[in-house]
Parts: sequence; structure tokens; C-alpha cells
Amino acid sequence: MALVVPFGQYVPGTSIVHRLDARMKLLVTAAYVFALFAVTGWVGLLLCTALFVGAYLLSKVPLRLVLRGMKPILILLVFTFLANALTFSALPLGEAPLVEEVTSYPLPESIALLGSFGIKPPGVLRGLYFVLRIVLLVSLTSLLTYTTPIVSLTDGLISLMRPLARFKVPTEDIATMFSIALRFIPITAEEAEKIMVAQSARGAVFDKGGPIKRAKAWVPVMIPLFVSLFRRADELACAMETRCYTGQGRTHLRVIEMGEIDLAIGGLSALVLILLGLLL
Amino acid sequence: MLSFAQVSYRYHGVTDPALTDVTFTVAPGEHVVLLGSNGSGKSTLARLANGLLLPEEGTVSVEGMSTSDRATIRTVRSQVGVIAQDPDNQIVSTTVLDEIAFGPENLGLERDEIITRTTSALEWLGLTGYEERDPSTLSGGEKQRLIIASILAMNPTYLVLDEPTSMLDGAGRAEVRNAINSLHAGGHGILHITHELSFARDADRVLVLQGGRLVFGGTPAELLNNEELLVSFGLKVLPQRVSALPHTINDRLLAALRPVTAPKRWRERGGVFPSLYLNNVSFSYGGSATAGGAGKKRRKKSGGVAESELGGDFRGDFGGDVAGELGFEFEPGAAGAAERVVLKGVNLNIAPGSYTLITGNSGSGKSTLLRILAGLLEPTSGTATFSSGDKVFPSAVGIVFQHPESQLFAQTVEDEIAFGPDNLGLLPSRDVRGTVVREALDAVGLDPRVFFHRSPFSLSGGEMRRVAIASILAMRPTFLLLDEPTAGLDAAGRAFIHTFIEQLVQATAGVVVVSHDVAEFSQRAQAHLLLKDGQLWRL
Repeated sequence: MALVVPFGQYVPGTSIVHRLDARMKLLVTAAYVFALFAVTGWVGLLLCTALFVGAYLLSKVPLRLVLRGMKPILILLVFTFLANALTFSALPLGEAPLVEEVTSYPLPESIALLGSFGIKPPGVLRGLYFVLRIVLLVSLTSLLTYTTPIVSLTDGLISLMRPLARFKVPTEDIATMFSIALRFIPITAEEAEKIMVAQSARGAVFDKGGPIKRAKAWVPVMIPLFVSLFRRADELACAMETRCYTGQGRTHLRVIEMGEIDLAIGGLSALVLILLGLLL
Repeated sequence: MLSFAQVSYRYHGVTDPALTDVTFTVAPGEHVVLLGSNGSGKSTLARLANGLLLPEEGTVSVEGMSTSDRATIRTVRSQVGVIAQDPDNQIVSTTVLDEIAFGPENLGLERDEIITRTTSALEWLGLTGYEERDPSTLSGGEKQRLIIASILAMNPTYLVLDEPTSMLDGAGRAEVRNAINSLHAGGHGILHITHELSFARDADRVLVLQGGRLVFGGTPAELLNNEELLVSFGLKVLPQRVSALPHTINDRLLAALRPVTAPKRWRERGGVFPSLYLNNVSFSYGGSATAGGAGKKRRKKSGGVAESELGGDFRGDFGGDVAGELGFEFEPGAAGAAERVVLKGVNLNIAPGSYTLITGNSGSGKSTLLRILAGLLEPTSGTATFSSGDKVFPSAVGIVFQHPESQLFAQTVEDEIAFGPDNLGLLPSRDVRGTVVREALDAVGLDPRVFFHRSPFSLSGGEMRRVAIASILAMRPTFLLLDEPTAGLDAAGRAFIHTFIEQLVQATAGVVVVSHDVAEFSQRAQAHLLLKDGQLWRL
């Protein structure tokens, strides 16, 4: 019953990937994701793979951590692969229509295993292609969170958003919301855990019975949790009002300055990635 | 001058006013302590002080500016800083520095000015060097000092502190008390709102709030030396009055403690219950294979308790590895969290009818020890058993967690109390259910006729705590473990807890109290143990 939180796994380090400005890292990640989905063949995908491997080697993050990121998506990967590799065709084998191919090699369209159920060699390749794409997507984003403290990450995100204030986007409020969410997610998780233990001590069972029974079992956890969250929200609102928060007219203590090296590395990698995506 | 003039306030939809005709002033540089029991209207008064609430009648003003005037409200709020009791609900930012800068940033100050103010606030509260720390890694006392610093950075003339120490342990209390006194020495006007008499000694002047009215104003000596006054204000409960509190008859309590779930052979021995033993119990968090194995076993047994086994004494003491303890996806080696040994070779014997006090600092592993005693957590090594040889099982050992009222969820007090026994299958019929609930209510001194059908959420804080205790008692445990049972309670609430425990002991229940408040319990308990460095020491 571990609460999986998709961030906060920062691994301290001094590598160039660690030191790169968070905004640049976000931009490069965005460009990489674009490239990953824009490329339409194995050449492009393998180049993406090579780029990831490069970034990974530079970051000096232990391999097992990167692999760990795959654990939650393992089922998705297996399913993606099997769905592509196997045929469950109602049509006689050989007549099953093939979706657009990612490879041009001539391969047998299907190897029957049992009735209409069989392995589809072009599908195997396509399955691998999709699996690799998901693996790269997850690996790069986890590389981002492994090398960037979550605070820098949100600061970066907010600072990238700031120009939007001109279009009446409430960037200050969004920034505050981010910050509060970061503060309160662990507090809420801890509180939920405490209430669960307390209700278990009163004989509550959370993992037995049918779906309705299980859902009902959560009522004694959810109600106290909500009561507490409303109380916290009320007190937090008072604390913010006391300190004159209105979301407008704020000044900032921290001025983030970006070095030329950051700009150069970030800009260049983003450019390469976008070109890659467009050309291949 | 911070001034309340004939101030009354009533919450929407409530008949009784929270405050009635309250008039007083706090001068710049003056230290005023305002005392009041739970529910006397203290927090309402704090929120009125800087316009978080607006008076229904009368005026609250600061240097002549009314809090009801929207035009000057920002000035009023930067003049009067209000600090509430739970620091966790007041921290907005993810670093200490940003938290302190939050107020000045909101005021739209220049960057240089923000730097000057944050630096001075950090220094004043002894937080220099903490700038880039994540507030969630601070101790309770440090967090509350952080809040005070962040208010101080607004350059207020007055500080209003609403029970700032009630969530803190002894060390935290001392830190905050020193902070308040040094702020007063630095020329700030202080209004310290509390139910703890001991703070009155620090004050220039003491006010007492009772039932929403100011009933006393004078010097600390005038109040503290007048026992009669203290008793009539509900700030002190005399020992003889403790036993005279209208509740519980012993045989009722005995009935409530008859362990229905106990193994048959216990009952066959004519109601002589076994002792509770901890045998060479060790416990550690993280890394090791044994701990993981224990985790799996535990989950099976206690029905889906989260993988975490957070000690939970106070959040701060777990430092950076709190996420790991919460069962977040977490790589032990990754963030440098090594295996953390909490208990090493603990032996303990809790006899029926005994009263044991366990004290220890925040983070000493008190809560872990309690969870093992309650059978909610498997020790990494060693055993928790009854002297009959049975393994400890949760229904025989009741556990009342810290602030148990925060677990209430049902629509009526009846359902709330019946929840535990229902889950254990102890309530075969409506009649039995009614009886069990009534007995449990009796045992905590609440009249079943009044409380049976009420919503737990309509009760006062003290009543909620009693219902929460009754909900554990209704499972008829042989042993009762209480974690900080008096936390946040006023004199009357504390007196009830002490009487209640005495009666449990007389009714041959084995009672264990875990608390950081040595003075509160050490005279009453039969044995006093200190948990330190993972081991128990007899005091």
C-alpha cells in the first residue's frame, strides 16, 4: 500500500546534468519528448536512445535507479508488447489486416500458434518500438527528477510560466499553489497513514471483500482526513492572510540568474532534438 | 495600542456567542498573557485581533485603525502578527528562507529590504544557517520559531500567539517560550493566549477569558496566588475535586473491560489476566531484509496498515527520511538513508492493574514501541507476547493514539463507539450494541442519554476525546495504551484523564501512558521508564 509519489527522489550530485539550470533541463526534456514522438522510424528512435544514454552517463546516476523507474510501468510495457506481437484475429490467419508498418523488411505476416491466435513478427518489432519509446520517456523524466531538486524544478516551471502573466494567467497564484501542494502532499500522506493505523487498531480491514465493501472500508479514513484537510485549509488561509497574501503586487527575494553555459547547452540540445524530431 | 472595545462575536448558525462584550488593550512593549479553558473563545479572539474575523459588535483597532476598515487592513495586518498553534498549517514555502520572505514579498518590498528583514528575523529566532532547509525536516519548536520569524519579518508592533506551544514537546516549549520573552525584551507588544498557567509568570498583566467573557484582569501574582479564583475560572482543578468528578462506577468500568475476545483459557482461569511481555524487542526502519519480511507479515495481520511505521512523535524528528517512512516509493541508498535502529533489545513487563509511564524525547521511538505493544507492528527481532504464551493481538490491547478525536468519522456517537466492536464481531444484536455503547460512554463520564444519538462533530474538543477513548474501550481491551492523552486539554480535561486512568488501574487493566510531560504523570504512575537510545531505563 505504498503511496507512490512521482517526484522527490532527488539524488544529490555534482555532474553537469545536476548543475544545468532547471529551466533549461525542463526545456530540453520537453524537446526530447517532442522528438521522441515526432520521429517515425528506428533510426530516429535509436538516435534518441543514444542521446539518453549520453545524458545518463554524464549524470552518473546509478543504473538501478533508472531501472527502478520501470517498475510501475512494467505491466504497461508487457501489455503494449503483447498487444502488438500477438494476433487474436477473427479472420483466418494471413488475412488479418496489418496496420501501417514501422519496418520495411519482408517478414511473414503471422506465425500461427493456436487457431487464429499467433505471433506476428512485424508486430514484434513494432511492439519493441513502442516499448522502447515508453522506456525512454520514463527514463528521461526520472533522470530529470533524479538530478533536480523538486524545489528547483517548480521554481523553473514557474519562471518559464512567468511571461504568461502578460496574458492574465495568474502565475503568482499558480506558483503559490505549487509550493503549498509540495508542502502538504507529504503531510496529508502521513496523516492518512496515521488514521489508517488508528482505524486498523479499531478492527478496520481495508483489503478484504468485494469492491463495494473495500470502498466502504475507506469511509472511516476519508472522513477524518477531509475534516482535517478542511481545518488545515482554514488555518493556512488565515496564516496567509495574516501575512498579507493577495496574489498581487508581490516582489521576489530570489532572482534566478542563468549562466551563459546553461543557455548554450540547453539551447543547443533543445535545437538538436527538435531538428531530430522534424527530420527523422 | 491594540484595543478591543466592547467586542462581541457569534459564529454563523450558532446560538451562543463565542465572545461577549470583551474590552482590553495591549500597549506597545507590553506582555499580556490571556488565559482560558478549552472553548472559552480564545482562538476567536486571536482571529479578531488582526481582522481575520470582524466583530459583530464593538471595535477592534490598532493605533486607531479599525480592523473593519478595508482601506487600512494591510497596515493593520503588518502591525499585528497572529501565530496559531499548529506550525504545520502555517508554513507555505518549501525552504526556510522563502517562508520568512513570504510576508515581505506580499507587502511588495524592495529586494534589499527583504534581505535585511529576513536576515534579521533569522538571527533573532536563532535560525541562521537554516536558510535552505526544508521546513518539514525541522523539529516542532524550530517550525514554530520559523513561523514567528516569518511574522517578525513583517515588522509588527504586536504579536498575538494562540497556544503556540500546545503541539510541542518540552524542548520545543522552552524554545518558543524563550523566543517570546526575547521578542518582548526587543520591544514588541505580546498577547500570548494559552490555557497553561505556567506562562502567566512571564507576563506584565494577565487576563482571563471564561465562556466568552473577560472575567479577570490583573498582575500574575494576583491571579496565581489566589487558588479560589483559579478554581472558579476552571484554570485549576483541586485534587479533592478530581475524585468528586461525576462519573464512572468501578464495576461498570470492569464490565467495559471484560475481554470478550480473549482466548477461552484466560476466562477459564477466573478472570485472572496475563501480563504483557516484550522480550528482547528490536526494531529498525529501512534497508534490511528482515524489516521487509516483518512488513509483509504485519500487513497481512493488521489488514492493510500502510507500509510505513512512522514513529510519529513529531514529524520533524525524522529529518529528511520522512518520505521513506511514509512508504513513498523510496530508494534507501539513494537519498543516503541508512537503516535506522529505533529499538534495541527492549524488555518490558506490563502486569494487569499496573500503571506504567514511558517518557522520552521526540523521535526516541515511543510511538514505535506503542505500536509493537499494541500488536500493530511486528518487531524486527524479539517477541511481544502475553504471559499465557499467546502472541499480542490488537483487540486485547487497546491503543488510544495522540489526538484520538481526529479519527472520529461516524454520524452518531453510537455508531462511532460501535465501530470497533462491530469490526471484531462482538455485537450480535441491537440490544448488545446499545449496552456496549452505553457502558463505554459511562466509563468515560458522558451521560448516554445525552450523547447516544449526537453527532461526534457537534461535541466540544474534550467531549470528542472522551468519545474517542470510549470507542477503544468498547472493544473491551485488557490493556490500554495511551499516547499523550492530555495533549491540548485544559485543567478539567486533564483531571478527567487522570481519574479515568486511576479507575482503569483499579479495574485491573494494565495501563501504559506515553508522554513527554514528565511532571504531569510521574507522580501518578507506578513505574516510570525512559526510552533513550533505543533502550528502556527505569527511573
